[in-house]
Amino acid sequence: MRLLLTLLLTAASLHATTYYVTVTGLGGEPDYEQHFAMWAKDIEKAVKTSPDSKVETLVNATREQVRATLDGIAKQAKPQDAFVLMLIGHGSFDGYEYKINLPGPDLTASELATLLDRIPASRQLVVDMTSSSGGAIEFLRKPNRVVIAATKNGTEKNVTIFARYWVEALGDPAADSDKNDVVSALEAFRFADKKTVAFYESQNRLATEHAVLEDTGKGEGVRAPSPENGEGMLAAQFPLLRIGATAMAAKDPAKLQLLAKKDELEQQIDKLKYEKAAIPPDEYKKQLGALLLKLAQTQEEIDK
Amino acid sequence: MRLRTILPAILCATAGLTGQTLAPTLAQAESLWKQHRYVESNDAFRALVAAHPRNAEYRVRWGRLFLERFNAPEASKLFNEALEIQPKRADALLGMALVAADGFEAQATHFARQALEADSHLVDAQELLARLALEDNNPAKAAEEAHKALAMSANATEAKAILATIDWLNDKPDTPWDPHEGAAYETAARIFVLNRRYEEGIKLFRKAIAAQPDLWSAHSQLGINLMRLGHEEEARTELELCYENQYRDAATVNTLRLMDSYKNFVTYKTDRTVLRLHKKEAELLHPYFEAEMLRALATYDKKYDFKLDRPVQVEVYPDHEDFAVRTMGMPGLGALGVTFGYVVAMDSPSGRPPGTFHWASTMWHEFSHVYVLNMTNFRVPRWFTEGLAVHEETAVSPEWGDRLDPHVIMAIKDKKLLPVAELDRGFVRPEYPTQVVVSYFEAGRMCDYIDREWGWPKLLAMIHDFAAGASTPEAIEKELGIKPEEFDRRFMAALTAETKKTVDGFDKWRDQLKEVAAEYKAHNYEDMIRDASAIRDTYPDYVETGNVYQFLADAYLAKGDKKIAIGQLERYAREGGRSPDTLKQLATLLEEAGNRKEAAEVLDRLNYIQPIDEDLHRRLGDLWLSLGNTAGAIREYQAVLAKAPTDPAASHFNLAKAYRTANRPDAAKDELLLSLESAPGFRPAQKMLLELSK
Repeated sequence: MRLLLTLLLTAASLHATTYYVTVTGLGGEPDYEQHFAMWAKDIEKAVKTSPDSKVETLVNATREQVRATLDGIAKQAKPQDAFVLMLIGHGSFDGYEYKINLPGPDLTASELATLLDRIPASRQLVVDMTSSSGGAIEFLRKPNRVVIAATKNGTEKNVTIFARYWVEALGDPAADSDKNDVVSALEAFRFADKKTVAFYESQNRLATEHAVLEDTGKGEGVRAPSPENGEGMLAAQFPLLRIGATAMAAKDPAKLQLLAKKDELEQQIDKLKYEKAAIPPDEYKKQLGALLLKLAQTQEEIDK
Repeated sequence: MRLRTILPAILCATAGLTGQTLAPTLAQAESLWKQHRYVESNDAFRALVAAHPRNAEYRVRWGRLFLERFNAPEASKLFNEALEIQPKRADALLGMALVAADGFEAQATHFARQALEADSHLVDAQELLARLALEDNNPAKAAEEAHKALAMSANATEAKAILATIDWLNDKPDTPWDPHEGAAYETAARIFVLNRRYEEGIKLFRKAIAAQPDLWSAHSQLGINLMRLGHEEEARTELELCYENQYRDAATVNTLRLMDSYKNFVTYKTDRTVLRLHKKEAELLHPYFEAEMLRALATYDKKYDFKLDRPVQVEVYPDHEDFAVRTMGMPGLGALGVTFGYVVAMDSPSGRPPGTFHWASTMWHEFSHVYVLNMTNFRVPRWFTEGLAVHEETAVSPEWGDRLDPHVIMAIKDKKLLPVAELDRGFVRPEYPTQVVVSYFEAGRMCDYIDREWGWPKLLAMIHDFAAGASTPEAIEKELGIKPEEFDRRFMAALTAETKKTVDGFDKWRDQLKEVAAEYKAHNYEDMIRDASAIRDTYPDYVETGNVYQFLADAYLAKGDKKIAIGQLERYAREGGRSPDTLKQLATLLEEAGNRKEAAEVLDRLNYIQPIDEDLHRRLGDLWLSLGNTAGAIREYQAVLAKAPTDPAASHFNLAKAYRTANRPDAAKDELLLSLESAPGFRPAQKMLLELSK
């Protein structure tokens, strides 16, 4: 199931475009300004390598610039396209409304939601990495949209570090935890969150940010997306960044049979893993080893 | 302690106190206190003070209730209030002295003397002076003060206890001063514990309890000290007994809590070591700590020519508050580690900000105590065992020990170092806030000096002298052939010469460092390099935040001169710099320059400073593997996997590579399966699986 979906998405994405927009707001201090701009540039560099990407980076953007950019994409994008918005900077939340701090008038979450709703891309990802960003979730959530916030609610007001590790996720192959050459939104979220938690632990500091993910269109956002809480399924299928050549194999009709075999083996491995607790360890290891060996042989054939 | 006489008639009056509207009397409050009805007694005192705001005596007695019921700050406040009403009130001054004595503050003696000036018959104050002198390891003075107390009152039990303790400390069990009272035995027990003679202290606490079964403070201390020596079952029984009997001071309650938390710890044993680690970091720290424990034991066995007769237990606490429970009620810093005979308790590197704590240095320091304390049967002056332990830190590696810090520089400059015969005082009852730190430094340098001038065998001989009961002056005279005063003179001359450049130039250095920092911030690198280079060697030990080495390295990197930048950072590392970020930066630069071996060595140093770092272990594993150190690579890759890595597939694969290189194909295959279980499509792992399956 997982792999079939991946293949379908992969095939679909061969003809689709992913729009990436990164916005940095007011830094307030030179150090922050510098960091925000640096992170935005690193994001731009990473996503530009992904095939069929269109990238816009707005450093120290005004509200009008954000509006104009999103309106422009709304005119170009098609339903099969994907859209990714990444917000870096300081945010605020007054108990009712979230705002990202921009030069001039700020942009509220409800205004942003309206702009995003105009974009026809059916798969959307919003990564709000500002302080208080948890306060934006209730405005931005929507079916088929993944929302990631650096803070669990609007009251976590301290400056956040999540963006630093989100940027790392886009550049570190370790973020691709299932090694399928695609970093999904869920993988990037888990990578950045784990690193953020480790940062506070290593500094012996009380964590002042707790990143959350919402992709059901109706939730509050959760720290650990899982089948149990129903969050993360859409994010797992959202290819944020392609870092390898897996997709190319799907273009060769001669290899479709091998790909089908590979898919079947992967399903068998998934099933075996699911049943792990019920199988004696030695038997599990034996069966897993046999399936993995077959999978490796199949992959070798595909790679020829 | 002197007890206020309670008239039997008052007890009758007390019975009807509850609910009455009349203000209580002092006798009623005291009576309730004596009956252990502390809340009611407290209420009575509160009402008394409210009704008589200008009565100093009521405040003093209320303060003593607070002091007995573990609330020294509130007690101190009340004694101060009493002194505002009556500035020379003896019992209030005595209260202040008791509060200070509880906190091992130097002011204790000052207040006790003031109390005696106010009331020359105040035996309690005189007895306290005797105790304080003995706590300061000055038995002659203690005996003198105790005899003064006995001259004031032939029944001064505490004074007898002090005289008896002096005899017992000198291994004279048949003392004429044995007071045969529980509280007196408890005093003696506490002094033995202060002298780190825990086993004997425990015996005395037992004697105190036998004489007075409801002496809960003794039960509590018995429990705490049993726990210190690893007798946890009996410790718990004693502490729970205290708790059930309403004796719930911080030490009792926190120790019970700590014992409850032991379910979260994992214990690893070898024939020579017992290692207790918190389960959240046990798997990661275990190989590093155990290896270092065994290395230290092997080194010290030879160096001290002494074989320990049982395993050494090390407890590592990730929560500093848990570690702090282990040192409650003890003088000095106890900041990083503490030794109780064969048990060492210490902070975990995860319990401290990165770069501020060298756990291996602390462990070697504490292990030195294990040897010295056991070789002397705990009869060793504090300055000597601490000094030797500090000496050992840099003996293992010159980069390990603590550096000459600004507090020490100021103390040298202000001539605040103590003579060797009085140095214990600097540890037990500091006269200024940083005196404990300064005393560690001074004692360490004294042992360095003896080692340098007379050689290690003399230090070893001094250990044996102390074991035989010699005092500091006796040991110095016997082994070094000079009087302590001459030793002080020569040592100070050597230390002054050694530190002259830094001490004389410190003020100017501090001012110039500010200028360097400003130039750095302004990216004025040319001027900064000139100014920083000019001051670097004035105070080469300064490797803390904002150090010159980092400024210079950054400036040279900005200019594109990596080679000189590397040189600056190497100097930083040699001088004892511990910042993980800076050392990682050095490793990166060395790796980029093709010096992989040096890069690996730099990263390996971080294992002794901040080993809870996935990136460190992955990088070091890669380097060791590329350098053919497969054992090192396996250890590092195992460390990556010990704490839920960010990338489990790649981490298992790396370990598989190391096992394969070490010619352990089965282990390699196991790791490959784990890697591919996590990421079935991981190409490099698939490739190796195919190769291993051929």
